[in-house]
Amino acid sequence: MTKKPLYGDATSQPANHKAGGWIDGLDRSRKSGPFLESHPMDTMGMSTKAVHAGTHDDPRTGAVGTPIYQSSTFILHEETYGSIEEGFGRDRFIYTRYGNPSQWAVQEKLAALEGAESALVFSSGMAAISAAVLALVDKGAHVVAASDLYGGTFNLFNQEFPSLGMSATLVDSYDIEAIEAAIQPNTQILYFETITNPVLKVVDIPALVDIARRHNLRLVMDSTFAPPPVMKPLEMGVDLVVHSASKYLNGHSDLIAGVVCGSRKLVDMVWPRLLNYGGQLDPHAAFLLERGLKTLDIRMRAHEQSATALSKFLETHPCVEKVLYPMLPSHPDHERAKELMQMGTGNVTFFVKGGDQAAIRLLDHLHLPKQATSLGGIESLISLPFNSSQASMTSRQRADIGILPGCVRLSVGIEDADDLIADFDQALNAITDMKGAA
Amino acid sequence: MRNSIPTAALSEFVNEVSGNPEEGLMSYGIEIDWESGTRARTSTKPMLVGPHKVSRSFTWKADEPRQLMGNNHGPNPQELLLSGLGSCMMVAFVAGATTEGIQLESVKIDFDGTLDLRGFMGLGSNATVGFPEINYTIHAVGDGTPEQFEELHRKAIKHSPNAQTIVNPVTLTGEITSEQIEG
Repeated sequence: MTKKPLYGDATSQPANHKAGGWIDGLDRSRKSGPFLESHPMDTMGMSTKAVHAGTHDDPRTGAVGTPIYQSSTFILHEETYGSIEEGFGRDRFIYTRYGNPSQWAVQEKLAALEGAESALVFSSGMAAISAAVLALVDKGAHVVAASDLYGGTFNLFNQEFPSLGMSATLVDSYDIEAIEAAIQPNTQILYFETITNPVLKVVDIPALVDIARRHNLRLVMDSTFAPPPVMKPLEMGVDLVVHSASKYLNGHSDLIAGVVCGSRKLVDMVWPRLLNYGGQLDPHAAFLLERGLKTLDIRMRAHEQSATALSKFLETHPCVEKVLYPMLPSHPDHERAKELMQMGTGNVTFFVKGGDQAAIRLLDHLHLPKQATSLGGIESLISLPFNSSQASMTSRQRADIGILPGCVRLSVGIEDADDLIADFDQALNAITDMKGAA
Repeated sequence: MRNSIPTAALSEFVNEVSGNPEEGLMSYGIEIDWESGTRARTSTKPMLVGPHKVSRSFTWKADEPRQLMGNNHGPNPQELLLSGLGSCMMVAFVAGATTEGIQLESVKIDFDGTLDLRGFMGLGSNATVGFPEINYTIHAVGDGTPEQFEELHRKAIKHSPNAQTIVNPVTLTGEITSEQIEG
């Protein structure tokens, strides 16, 4: 416990300048943060970091855990007055649109989990994505992105970019040659997803890193489907990682949030976009996200365990045409998944015999999974791309990205595998005449 | 931010380049297309800030006054030369003031130059083709002392890439590719 007031990151101080020198006399260097206090955890395991990183007990009362700093503004002090003038306003508590200790706590935890120097939380995944992308592009810029992007991100490139005088070329994320061929003189970033939705392609991240470096581009990746226990894209050379934190990171389907992680240099470039576009995360929501993150590692293990068992069961069921789960040898990217993924997730996509009508009947017969969009929650969620996430596409457009008739998108929660298997068994049997199948 | 420049970020960039000189290499390019008569259009090419590409989607036109066989549709190349020189000196002056903790209220740089077109025309004379001399005055208002502003002036010229390109010999290399078409 300390009575010393915290005005922000105490290690961040104004640049000193040797009198009579030029700008080379400025002595402030970039460092990771901003953090509430030094809390090195580099050598510790994922679960230890998830519990402890960024979580600082209340210095006044000794209350364990980060208090909820539900405040829009902070009392100004000598320590804070000059921070905006000296250009390090991000490192002091001034106003919650700029930063708040509840946001900082979860940002430090996310940075520790992703192996990042810095992180920012946002009020949604799309707030994070739009701020990250627009921080790295300039007037007239061009982006090369995946053709099967998440719909919200597709809309950013398809609807907003032309209005801003920018453009994007969308390419199959498997086709490394086509990605490189799509690069134009004004291309500034490559934007891809580490694992795609819904066919769960595992993208060749090292190849994308290589292309980005050779063409002087920044590589931004959405890793919503592969949270840090599964994959740490920054360690593979990705420049910025974005997530919808509403999914695995929070894990309880009770919050909308987003995050950007990366080097301090690039995240400092995103921060002014956060200020200007205004997608800050409310302190109470920051607290919920921090609490959810504490169990990230243990939740992922439970997701993997139940998803693996259920995938194997589905693969043997006569009513199931095909199962896509990257950690099973039947997945087309299984070899790459073993190389890039530390573990499996809860996302399983499968195709039932009988097409979309059979899939609708299947969902109606299931008791445990909720018929809802989203993923990564502790409860299993199930939906059909043809009438939800990809409903605006034609059947041929869906087929082009692997969404064949009967496609079911399943996010396996942390329920016991035996209960899930029993539920899918009865539902699959109910939609066919094959009594007692499997 | 003083003078709308974040001193902390300026300092961080300087120290980054000190540790990693590749981040300090700026590569620029422009293309100039002849439009008509003395008028030409310039377009910026993407630039590299260190190893990172930045889109630069800007165009402008240059022209000569009617008296010089043009249509007066834009600033002429001499004005653009002085503009490039003065704008660069301005960046150096403002960055230096910010570093010194000087809050500026206004800065204006006033340029004049006279050249003798007999050099361009090839008329026999002792006239140089280019500007023999360029004159400027900086009008600065801010909370610095006259001594600080004088020192800032000296340092800004010393560290301005365009000012140093003008006052020092520079190697100009070029070639031409041509295609003869049937008249």
